[in-house]
Amino acid sequence: MTSTNKQAKAIVQQESGLAIINSKAPFSSTHGKDALDIALIFGSFEQKVSLFFQGDGVYQLIDNQDGTLLSIKDYLKTFSAFEFYDIEDIYICQQSLANRQLGEDFHISDVQVLASIEFSAALNRHQHILRF
Amino acid sequence: MSTLHLVRQSAFATNDFAQCLSVLDHQDSIVLMDDGCYNLKHALMDSLIKRIDDTISIHIIASHAKARAIESTTTIKHIEMTDVVELTFNHSKVITWQ
Repeated sequence: MTSTNKQAKAIVQQESGLAIINSKAPFSSTHGKDALDIALIFGSFEQKVSLFFQGDGVYQLIDNQDGTLLSIKDYLKTFSAFEFYDIEDIYICQQSLANRQLGEDFHISDVQVLASIEFSAALNRHQHILRF
Repeated sequence: MSTLHLVRQSAFATNDFAQCLSVLDHQDSIVLMDDGCYNLKHALMDSLIKRIDDTISIHIIASHAKARAIESTTTIKHIEMTDVVELTFNHSKVITWQ
């Protein structure tokens, strides 16, 4: 094996955690809550988790939402616990934000807004992917 | 023979809102509720507002929009779920787009 191959393999292994893609709006289905539960469970067991927000999933991150108005337990507030579960890689699709005329006002900090190419590159670094 | 259109899906995720607009007639009313509130920022809404005359009215459920942090606009009437009951009586048919 050449040294370049070794390096490439090392990078792949380094990033081979779980990726969770969020693609649904927060309140009309349980997909967002289910994805959150899975992320926190993997976090509890010290497994590396990255979160991806794409399509209507970006609505989960928008600031000033209030699920209690809809008599829904507001699971979005739990997103602020990500740092305690060592979930640090949170990626947002820039194109999805632009299509929906959304700004970059999120209710959690330390997120990365990525253009389509970087977003797909970040996703493809992962060995396992779950989509909600 | 007017129709009340209850739009409950995001046009960014499904084709429902486009289908709704394709059958929209004079005297009809639209209510944006649940994820349909997101359609306020969709390009289809711009084309609808251009098309709108005195006979077509658009409503949005205020609490559903507020829960989703969607800003209000003046061209659209803000109502509550109780007002939808009255709207169903003022139209001869109802279509739920979901």
